[in-house]
Amino acid sequence: MSSHRNIVVLVSLLGITSYGADESVDFNREVRPILSDRCYGCHGPDANKGRKAGLRLDESEGATKKLKSGEIAVVPGDIEKSAMIPRIFSTDPEEIMPPPELHRPLSAKEKDILKRWVKQGAKYDPHWAFVSPVAHAAPAVADPSWPKDPLDAFIADQAVKAGLKLSPPADRTTLLRRASFALTGLPPTNGEVDAFLADKSADAYEKHVDALLASPRFGEHLAVNWLDLSRYADTWGYTGDNPMFAWPWRDWVLKAFNDNKPYDQFLTEQLAGDLLPDPTQEQRVATAYNRLHRMTFEGGSIAEEFRQDGINDRVMTAGYGFMGLTLECSRCHDHKYDPISQKDYYSMAAMFGDQNENGLLSYHGEVPPPFVRLFKSDADRNKDAELRAAVRAAEQGLVTTHTVTEKVAVTVPTPLAHFPLESFTKTGVDDSVAGRKPAKFERRGSPEDLQLVPGVKGQAVKFDGDAGFILPEFKQLGRFDAFTFSAFLRLDEKNARATVLHATGRYTGDGDASGVELLVDHGKLRWSMIHLWPNSAVSIETATELPVGTWQRVTVTYDGSSKAAGLHVYLDGREAKTTVVRDTLHAKPRDNALEIGSRSRDAGFRNGSLDEIQLWRTSLTAAEVAVLHGADALTLPELVLAEHARLRANPTYTQAWSRLQEALRALAAHQESAPAFFAMEHSDLAPKTYVLTRGEYDKPDLSKLCEPGVPVRIFPWNDSLPKNRLGLARWLTDPKHPLTSRVMINRLWAQVFGSGLVTSSENLGMQGDLPSHPELLDTLAVDFIHSGWNTKAMLRRLVLSATFRQSSTPSAEAREKDPANKLWARGPVLRLTAEMVRDQALIAAGTLVEKVGGESVQESANRRSLYTYRKRTAPPDNMLIFDAGSREVCQPKRLNTNTPLQALVLLNNPGFVEAAKNLAIKVSKSATEPTSQISQAFRHVCTRDPRPSELAALNELYIAQKASPPQFTQLISAPTKPDAKADIKTKKKTPVVSVQAPTKIPSDPSLAALTLVCSTIMASDAAVTSR
Amino acid sequence: MHPPTKPSYDSLMQPTRRHFLGTSALGMGALAMRSIVGDAQAAALPKGTHFPAKAKRVIYLFQAGGPSQFETFDPKPLLREKNGQPLPDSVRQGQRLTGMSGYQATLPLAGAFTDFKKYGQSGTEYSDLMSHTGEVADDLCVIRTMHTEAINHDPAITFFCSGNQVAGRPSMGAWASYGLGSMNENLPAFIVMVSQDATKDQPLYSRLWGSGFLPSEHQGVQFKAGKEPVLFLTNPEGVSPHARRNMLDALGKLNADQRATELDPEVDARLAQAEMAYRMQTSVPEVADLSKESAATLAMYGESVKTPGSFAANCLQARRLVEKGVRFVQLFHQGWDQHGGLPNGIKRQCKQTDQASAALIKDLKQRGLLEDTLVIWGGEFGRTAYCQGKMTKDNYGRDHHPRCFSLWMAGGGVKGGYVHGATDEFGYNIVKDPVHVHDLHATMQHLLGVDHERQTFKFQGRYYRLTDVAGNVVKAVIA
Repeated sequence: MSSHRNIVVLVSLLGITSYGADESVDFNREVRPILSDRCYGCHGPDANKGRKAGLRLDESEGATKKLKSGEIAVVPGDIEKSAMIPRIFSTDPEEIMPPPELHRPLSAKEKDILKRWVKQGAKYDPHWAFVSPVAHAAPAVADPSWPKDPLDAFIADQAVKAGLKLSPPADRTTLLRRASFALTGLPPTNGEVDAFLADKSADAYEKHVDALLASPRFGEHLAVNWLDLSRYADTWGYTGDNPMFAWPWRDWVLKAFNDNKPYDQFLTEQLAGDLLPDPTQEQRVATAYNRLHRMTFEGGSIAEEFRQDGINDRVMTAGYGFMGLTLECSRCHDHKYDPISQKDYYSMAAMFGDQNENGLLSYHGEVPPPFVRLFKSDADRNKDAELRAAVRAAEQGLVTTHTVTEKVAVTVPTPLAHFPLESFTKTGVDDSVAGRKPAKFERRGSPEDLQLVPGVKGQAVKFDGDAGFILPEFKQLGRFDAFTFSAFLRLDEKNARATVLHATGRYTGDGDASGVELLVDHGKLRWSMIHLWPNSAVSIETATELPVGTWQRVTVTYDGSSKAAGLHVYLDGREAKTTVVRDTLHAKPRDNALEIGSRSRDAGFRNGSLDEIQLWRTSLTAAEVAVLHGADALTLPELVLAEHARLRANPTYTQAWSRLQEALRALAAHQESAPAFFAMEHSDLAPKTYVLTRGEYDKPDLSKLCEPGVPVRIFPWNDSLPKNRLGLARWLTDPKHPLTSRVMINRLWAQVFGSGLVTSSENLGMQGDLPSHPELLDTLAVDFIHSGWNTKAMLRRLVLSATFRQSSTPSAEAREKDPANKLWARGPVLRLTAEMVRDQALIAAGTLVEKVGGESVQESANRRSLYTYRKRTAPPDNMLIFDAGSREVCQPKRLNTNTPLQALVLLNNPGFVEAAKNLAIKVSKSATEPTSQISQAFRHVCTRDPRPSELAALNELYIAQKASPPQFTQLISAPTKPDAKADIKTKKKTPVVSVQAPTKIPSDPSLAALTLVCSTIMASDAAVTSR
Repeated sequence: MHPPTKPSYDSLMQPTRRHFLGTSALGMGALAMRSIVGDAQAAALPKGTHFPAKAKRVIYLFQAGGPSQFETFDPKPLLREKNGQPLPDSVRQGQRLTGMSGYQATLPLAGAFTDFKKYGQSGTEYSDLMSHTGEVADDLCVIRTMHTEAINHDPAITFFCSGNQVAGRPSMGAWASYGLGSMNENLPAFIVMVSQDATKDQPLYSRLWGSGFLPSEHQGVQFKAGKEPVLFLTNPEGVSPHARRNMLDALGKLNADQRATELDPEVDARLAQAEMAYRMQTSVPEVADLSKESAATLAMYGESVKTPGSFAANCLQARRLVEKGVRFVQLFHQGWDQHGGLPNGIKRQCKQTDQASAALIKDLKQRGLLEDTLVIWGGEFGRTAYCQGKMTKDNYGRDHHPRCFSLWMAGGGVKGGYVHGATDEFGYNIVKDPVHVHDLHATMQHLLGVDHERQTFKFQGRYYRLTDVAGNVVKAVIA
C-alpha cells in the first residue's frame, strides 16, 4: 500500500477530509461503502428478487453493460455517457438515486466520490476481506527505540502521520492492572502489585505476563467472549426454559484456552470433532458447540420448523464466530451485500443439518440425541470398549449355534392378558383377564366414544381417533424385554397416521415418542421400539399397505435384542415383508403404561377396530404365531419349524442368547452410568437439504437440492476436501482463507485494546467497517498462522507491545484529534464487563471462591461470574444491566453503556453490598488507622493508591458516617422470588437464577462507615475502568 | 443536504464525545434525533419524530396466552347455529394447525357461550364478559382482523413484542425509548408490569421487554408491587437517604478528581448516571405510591385495585407513570390460553381485566391524557372457531389461531367507536382489511410521529427496524 493511500486512510479516519477535484479515489475505502450502503439493496448480488432495472453495481461487468432501457449505468472514464451520474445528481424525486424511500440520500461529498470514480475509470477492486492476507514489512519509525514489537511500528507510523505524539509508558501499577484484566479478567492483588513493584529486573513485566498467561484464570477470562459468540447457557430458552446440560462444553472451552490449543484445532474440533479419525470423547464434546441453540418442547410445535431454526442458528453462529459474516441474510434471499447466494446458504445448512435428529425437545427432559457418553476416566472408557467387544463376541456365539434337527411341538404360550372386548363397564374393568385376574382397563377420553361393533368373535371395539384405553399394569417394556401383541385389526380408511399401540405417556410431538409403538403409516404398519425418535430407535415397516375394510390378525413381536432384526410383523399368521426404518437404539425407552387406540396430541386409530387383544411378555416364534392363527403345525415350512426348534429347544442357543443379553445389559448399565451429553453425529439418514423458498420451513424447493458446500466466491473450495463439516473446518483453516485468521486477530486485538482494528468485529463483509490499520491486521493474521495459530503467543505479543504499555491519559491535543483513540497513540481504556465488575468486588472482598470448571452455580456461591447459572429467559439482572446478553442467540460483541441502573447495582445489589462489607471487615483487621484502612480498601479495588484528594474525600465520608451511626428503621423485605414457573411442569429440580437476600450494613459505627466508604469506592470510575 | 448518519452499533462502542452526549441523562433519544433529522422541516419537530405526533406515550395492555375473540369482540352467531358440526374443509383451506389439535379426528365448531350487546352511540358489539369495556365503546377502535405468522406462544409473543420471532431484537418499548427518549429525567422511558393476580399458564421472558442490540438503557424496567418497585432501588438496610447523599458527594469528588487526571468525559457521564439513580430512589417510590388516589378513582378500577400487583393496580400505576412522562408502559396479563375449560377460564380473565381496562380509559380521559396517550389491548394470537378436545354441553376449548383475532386501541389519535375489518362468518379467515402485526407496529409508530421505515439502527451490517422489511400504516384507524 502506498504511503499516499495511508494518508487518505488517516484523514478519513479522523474525519479531516479535503479533496482536490481530481484526487484519486480508492474503490475499497471510498467507493464500495457508498455503493454497498445505498445501491446494493436493489442493484447488488441478490439475483432472485429486487434487482431493479437489471442493473448490478457490485461488479464491473454488471455496471458497464447495456441495460434494457438502452442506457449504460457506468461508462468507465466517461461521465457524460454514464447514466448513473445524472441520476445521482438529479433533484427530481422520480429520478434521483438512491430513491427518497431509502431515506439514506447521498451527500455532496459522496456524489463527488462516485463522479471521480467513474471519471478515473470506474475500477473495481475485490473487497479487502475476501482477499488472502499477506504480511507487510514494518514501516520505518522515527524513534527506533520505541517499538518493542513489529506491530508498534505500524501504530507509530500512522500516529505520526496523523500528527499525533505517542504517549509515555503507563506507570507500572496501571500497566499491571491493565494486563491483569486483559489476560485474566481480574485485577492484581495488593501482594502481586507489591511484588511487581519490588521486582527491578529488566524483564519483570514479561515474567509477570507469562505468569498471567499460565494462570487458570486466563482460560476463565478468554472463554467469556467465546461463550457469548457460541450462545452458551444453562437452559433451553423457549417456553418452559428447562435446564440444558451443557457445562461440560464450557469446561472444554476453558481447558482449550488454558492448554493453548491451536486455534485451527479449536475451530475444527468444535465444528467437526466427531468426524476426525477415531475421535476422542473430548473431541466429541467439543461439537456441542453446534447444539447450544435454543430448543422447545412447547405443545403443538412442529418439529421440522424448529429443526430448520436450529440449523439456521448453527450456520449463523459459525458465520459470526469464524467468518465474521452475517450469513443468515441469505436464508430468505441472496445476500444483499456480500457474495453469498441463497444456494450457498443452504449448502452450509446441509453441512450443519447432517444429523438424524429431532427439531423438538422431549417434554420429559431427556438429553436430545445424538449424544456422547461422558465417562469420567480412561478406565471407564476402556471398560466401555471391553463391553462392546464382549457384545460382539456374544453375537458371534449366537450365529454359530447349530439348528435342531428333530421336530419340536409347537404350543402357543398362554397370553399374559387377553381382552375379548365384549363389553365395557363404567369402572373400566371388563371381562378381560391378565394372569387369571381381571385386567385393569382404563378408558381415555369419553366412554361413549369407544363403540362396540360386531367383531371376529362377538363384539369388537371401534375407535374414533381421540379416545382409547390404557392398560396400567402393562408397563416396563424395556429394550431388553421380549413382547408380543396380537389382535384382529380392521381399517375402515387408509389412515395417513394412526396410533394403534404405544407406551409414550404424555406426548407433545415426535420429540416424545418412546417405548413400543405400532402405527398405521399411510396404510402400512410400522412397528418400533423407541428411545427417542428418530435418532435412537429400532423400527420396521410393512412393504405393502393393509387392506381396508377387512379383518386381519396382526401379530407383532420384539425379542429384546435392541435390533431391528428382533422386530417382526405377522399378518394372519404369516410373516409380512418389511423394510428397516431405523436400527440405532442407544438408550432405554420410557416405560409408561401401554395405551391402545389413542395418544394425546397425536392421531389415534380413527375408524379402526380391534378385537381379541392378547399380550405376552415373550416373543412368539413364527411357528407359534401361525398356530395361534389356527395353522396346523405339521403344514408349516421346514425353515419356520427349524427356527422354532432352535429358539425353543436348543440349550446351546438359549445359553448363547442369555450370554448376549447379559453382555448387552452389562454394556447398557455401564453406559447409562455415564451422563449423556449432546453432540454432533453425522448420519446418512439426515433429511436432504433444499433451498427453502423465502426461508420458510414448509416450502422446500425440490428442484434445488443442496449438497454440503460453502460460499465459494469468498474462498474457493478444494475438491480434495470431504463435503462435510470436517471439510468446512479444513476450508476455514486453509492458510489462504481470507477471513478466519483476520477475524480471530481482530477479536484478540479488541479483547486487549477494547476495540478491534476493524471496529465492526462481527462483520468484515461489505457493510462492515474498514480496518484502521489494514497492513497491521494482515501481518498479524499471517504471523498468527505461521505461529501455528498460537493464541497465547499472539496475546503475549499484544500486551508486551509498546502500544499497549502507553499511558492512556490523552493530552488535550490528542483528545481533540483522536477522541476515540482509533489510532492507539495512547493506551486503552476499558469499562469493565459485567463479569469483571463483580469478580473484582469478590476478589477485593477476599470472598472469591476460585475453582476451575464444574456445574454452573448461583451467585451466592461467590464463584467467578462465568460460572453463574444462565437462565435464558431470565438472565441475571445485574449482568444484563452491565450489557451482558441473554445468550439466546450468538452475541458477537457487547455494547458498553452507562446507565442509572448500573449505579443502583453497584450501590445496592446485595452481592456488591456484601462485598463492600467484607472488604471493610478485611481492612479493619489489617490496619488500625482509618486512613490506612481506606487506602488499603482503595488499593484492593482500584489497584493503585488513592490520590490525596481522593483519600480526603473518602475520609470525610468516613468521619461523617461514623458520627451518624446507621439507623435500622427499614423492614427487611423478603427476597424477591425469581420467576420459576417453568419448574412446575417438570418434576426435576431446576436451579434458578439466585436472588440474594437484601443486606444489612454492620451496626458497629466504624465498620458501618467503612462499609459505605468501600461501597463508594466500588462505584467509582477508578473501580469500574481499567486505564 | 447532508446524509443522515445513523448511530451504528459500532459508533456506540466508541467512547467519543458524541457518545458521551448521547448516553448522558438525555438518553440515546437525543442521538437518535440528531441522526434521524435529515429534512429541514423536521427541525421544528420534537426529537425523534418525523412528523407531528398524535400520541406522546403508549400504554400497552398485553394479554398473554391468546384471548379468544369469539367470547369478547367478534360475535359469530353462525357458530352457535352450527355448534358441534365439523369445520368445513372449504373454510380451513388446508391451513396449518398446531400439533395439539392437528391430529384431532374431528374439528367441531364451537359457538360462544356468551351473548353480545351493542354499546354506545357507535353500537359496537361486545360480549357480556366485556360490559365495562362496552361503556367506553365510543372511545375504542376494535380491530377484528389482526393476523400473525406464528402459531405457538413463544415465537408469537416474541414476534408481537419485537417484530421478529427470533430472539435478540429490540422490543416495542425499547424502540420508543431509543427513538423518542424520556420525558422525565427521573424515571425510565420504558416500564413493564406483570400482573400478579393472573393465572400463569404460559411463561413470560425478559426478552419481551429487552433492548436487543440497542443500548441496554432502553431495556424495559420492571416495576414490581411492594417495597422495592425497581430492582436494586432500595438502599441497604441501615443506609439512610442522608448517608446515600454523602456517598454520592464523595463519589462526585472521586470522579471529579479522576476526570481532571484522565481527561475523560465518560467519567462525568458515570457521575450523572449515579445522580439520576439517586433521584430515581425518590421519584420511583413517589410514583408507585397509590395511597393518594381518591376513593372514586379506586372504585372505578374495581375491588382488586387494592391488591398490589393486580392487573387493576397496574392499570392505575400505568396512568400515574404516563402522567409523569414515562414514554411506554407495558402491562402483561397471563392466563388466556384456554385449550380446554374455556367458559370458566375466560370468565375469570375478563373479570380480572375488563373493569380496570375500561377504568383506565375513563381515567385518562377525565385527566385530558387520553387524546395523546395510545392504549392498546390484545394478545399474541386468537383462538380457533372449532373445539379442541372433547366438547360437551357446557364446556369446550379452543386451540391457537393466528389467522384472525381481535384487539382494541384507544386514544392517541385513534378513531373511537370504530370497528376495523371483518372476518368470515366462521371467524376463521379475514374477508376485509387484514392488519398484520407489522402493520400494527407501523401504525403505532406513526401515531408517535415516527416513520417506521426511517427509525432504524445499523447492526451487523444491516439497518434494522421494528417492522423488519414490512408494515403499512393502517390509515383507516386514525382519527
